[in-house]
Amino acid sequence: MSRTEVFPEHTDVLIAGSGAAGMRAAIAAHDAGAKVVLLAKGPRRANHTRMSGGRYNAVSGLNPGDTTDAFYQDTLDSGAGINNYRLARILADEAMDRAYDLESYGLAWDRTDIRKYYMSMTGGGTFVRTLGSVDEGIGITEVMLHQLHKRGIRICDFHMLADVVQDDDGRVVGGLALDLSKGAWRYFSAGAVVIATGGTSQLYETSSGPAINTGDGIAIALRAGAELVDIEFMQFIPISFVYPPSARGYTLTEPAHYGMRHFDPKAEAAHLVNNKGERFVLKHDPVRREGSTRDVLARAIMLEILEGRGTPEGGVLMLPDSKVFESFLKERPIYVKRLLENYGEGQARLEAPIQVMPSALYTLGGVRIDPSCRCNVPGLIVGGEAAGGVHGANRLGGSSMPDIQVFGRRAGIAAAEDAKEYAGAGAAQLEKAHARAAQLEACIGRSDGVRPPDVKKRIQKLMWDHVGLVRNGEKLTETLAAFRNLREHVLPTVKVTSKSRVLNREWMEALELENLLDIGEAMAASSLQRPETRGAHYRTDFPETDPNWTANLIVRRHAGALNVEKKAVVMLDQASPQRENVGAIA
Amino acid sequence: MSKTALPRNTTRQAEAMLYGEAARKLHRVSGAVIILFVLVHVIVQAVRHAPIFATANAAAPWLQALQEQNWVHAILFFCIAFHTFYGLKLLAGELGFRLHYKTAFWAVVIVSALIGLREVLRYAGI
Amino acid sequence: MPSDIKLRAKIRRYDPSVDAEPHYETYEVAGKDNWRVLDVIRSVYEHQAGDLAYQFACRAGRCGTCAVKVNGVPVLACQERCKPEMRIEPLTPFPVLRDLVVDRTEVEARYEKHALTPQRATEYAGGPEAIEPKLAEELCHMDSCLACMVCVSGCPAVAERAFDGPAFMLKLRHMAKHPVDTGNRLEQAIDAGMLECFGCDLCTQLCPADLSPAQAIREFRREMIFGGSAKHE
Repeated sequence: MSRTEVFPEHTDVLIAGSGAAGMRAAIAAHDAGAKVVLLAKGPRRANHTRMSGGRYNAVSGLNPGDTTDAFYQDTLDSGAGINNYRLARILADEAMDRAYDLESYGLAWDRTDIRKYYMSMTGGGTFVRTLGSVDEGIGITEVMLHQLHKRGIRICDFHMLADVVQDDDGRVVGGLALDLSKGAWRYFSAGAVVIATGGTSQLYETSSGPAINTGDGIAIALRAGAELVDIEFMQFIPISFVYPPSARGYTLTEPAHYGMRHFDPKAEAAHLVNNKGERFVLKHDPVRREGSTRDVLARAIMLEILEGRGTPEGGVLMLPDSKVFESFLKERPIYVKRLLENYGEGQARLEAPIQVMPSALYTLGGVRIDPSCRCNVPGLIVGGEAAGGVHGANRLGGSSMPDIQVFGRRAGIAAAEDAKEYAGAGAAQLEKAHARAAQLEACIGRSDGVRPPDVKKRIQKLMWDHVGLVRNGEKLTETLAAFRNLREHVLPTVKVTSKSRVLNREWMEALELENLLDIGEAMAASSLQRPETRGAHYRTDFPETDPNWTANLIVRRHAGALNVEKKAVVMLDQASPQRENVGAIA
Repeated sequence: MSKTALPRNTTRQAEAMLYGEAARKLHRVSGAVIILFVLVHVIVQAVRHAPIFATANAAAPWLQALQEQNWVHAILFFCIAFHTFYGLKLLAGELGFRLHYKTAFWAVVIVSALIGLREVLRYAGI
Repeated sequence: MPSDIKLRAKIRRYDPSVDAEPHYETYEVAGKDNWRVLDVIRSVYEHQAGDLAYQFACRAGRCGTCAVKVNGVPVLACQERCKPEMRIEPLTPFPVLRDLVVDRTEVEARYEKHALTPQRATEYAGGPEAIEPKLAEELCHMDSCLACMVCVSGCPAVAERAFDGPAFMLKLRHMAKHPVDTGNRLEQAIDAGMLECFGCDLCTQLCPADLSPAQAIREFRREMIFGGSAKHE
């Protein structure tokens, strides 16, 4: 049998992920003097940032009542106190500077006057502070892409990071990538590898993210010995499109944007009613009502649907306030267009009820990082949705955009530093790259077996039903057993139909399956270990929040088994816990 | 319902008539017709009136009738009108007049068709 | 509630590394009348042709990567509604990688060549730039171009002449109008074949983001003939 061919290359910094976190890391690493290669799993514009409404929380000074302390406090409140306080503080402090960076790249933030930004509210915040631009995530990704072009940074489209390679001390020394456009393996030896591959929304049957977000980077980090934090917390956007199938699950943001609460934190958000016309959210949050945080709203809606009070199509109804239509059209014309095309004119004008359902949106947990975006595995840097701890148990709407800019930049800086220090023999690990590539080709040879899309659907259904918005110990245990069965008996039988190596979607999905299972397992295991309800994590067998559980669960792979450990929350005054762990390998 | 214009519904693009394509094809065809007409007209007039071509003229008595066919006139006038007006529409756009491609297309086609139709009516004595 | 509908999809199959030439395969799909073309393609992949190569990501009309030709018209597969009879082909005039996926290397090369970052006369001083609110809105509208290449695919001038394409003209106009950009965007546009535009507005009709590259070209042309600057409009 001929040896799997792997083309070796070298770079200082290898970045996986073409969203804003990856791109911002590329800019920062390049500007710090490093040679950068960025891997995009598909065409470079296919990423989650692109799909975002581009709302950007930052303290600009334009709202005299608002301060970075208030933003920081809102972040902790929303996160139910289990955020990494240091990361939350950094987010609040650096968000505005990064917004100005985007301005310098050519993004024209919406304004009320020539130098005054326009601001709106999001659900859960206490002050009006959210910036935005009419071109949303599209504009953000475009201006950043052109910054990469300007610096001559190499972007490899259709390159899926399949795994990282570590030396005998456990330091990450390179990344193995599959060039899907050719079906060829490339091994990039690097001084540092940045994981900015986004979240795991595709783990769920109904999700808002792009098809490529199968948690690849998080799984790769886990397999390399990295610690994950808060992985049991998955944010569901409360409202998303119910139909048509291609649009199902695509975010409609929050009820706050469809009512006068859009401008005034004390005003009403759009009302949500079940098939009896009842405002069921009042049962869950009588104070903030439909202006509540995403976790409360998503759960409320899911429970209505599960208890049979949803619409025939499987959603609930949102009653928008037509008074905000003119503003909504001006700020978010793309959303109005989608409402028109998917639902109809009445809905687009915010004059008719809009059918909505919750959908998996954002991975709150992820790789455990310190303020420099380093994790416990040397040579591995993580930023953006793939990292955990910034937002705790629930993220504020509008906080992901600043997160990816702030921590994307920090990741790039750290990567350039680590690459400079490292003068190791990366190329000598080519053998390990070959071995891993050979493993990942196993499914191509099989003539009999099960197709990856079928296995993916099973995982997605298990996650949606049991590790989603509504959880309990029994179902979580069952799910872990189902995952074990899939891993041991089904995964080894996965086959691909196509004999072509070029753009072999089934092969890509086969690689994704291992990642999905790794994360799914980690999510189910840590959900089982947290006997309470907090933020996005809701357990019917433990429906109250337990103050003893104001702590984080750290997940780590050790000798093939998952280790879940409870650790104290990282407070502001603590020395970074990562410093102790650097060098300690599984 | 409020009167503000909504963004377009672009989910049936492949079912719509492609105005730019139709306009361009018509502009090319009408341009070719005009050029062909000028060529033919010059030759026919030469044959009919230049003494040197008298024998050829005698051999082709149908040349006179050809010039009097209403459909020949109608097509020719439509082509001249369409080519001119569409050309003016392009010019107007470049000078800063905002014209919607759909409205402009139909306006030009209808006016040109009317001019063509006028020839048919004129020959019919109306 | 949507109703059931029978769909026939004739999809162009071609693997340049093994096939001598492309061929079409017809798939019968049982779908619903509110499906989009992407739903049909995914159904074919999931139930009938596991070796089909196609591209999509956001399925919400934002990444622009799913563009294909349906019945000869370039569209976004995730936005275009399904039809009882569909001929689905990769986006012309790009080289085909396999089946419905095209190679966008040339596209990126063109974007890079045009240097679409603000070329400042002085360093960025920090804080908000001085931009009129209406202009900021207009700039953002222009920058909501998806780079999907539907307009480039449908453009008759691109097919016949040396012209980069409408999408690139729109981006150049975006920079031309940005108050801090000092690049000679008009000259760049002319070099990229702007004058070849027929003014047919097919790009305006086909754009899935409701933009008008043709209008951007007209504005450039007025500037070229009458002088003036994009900044003062």
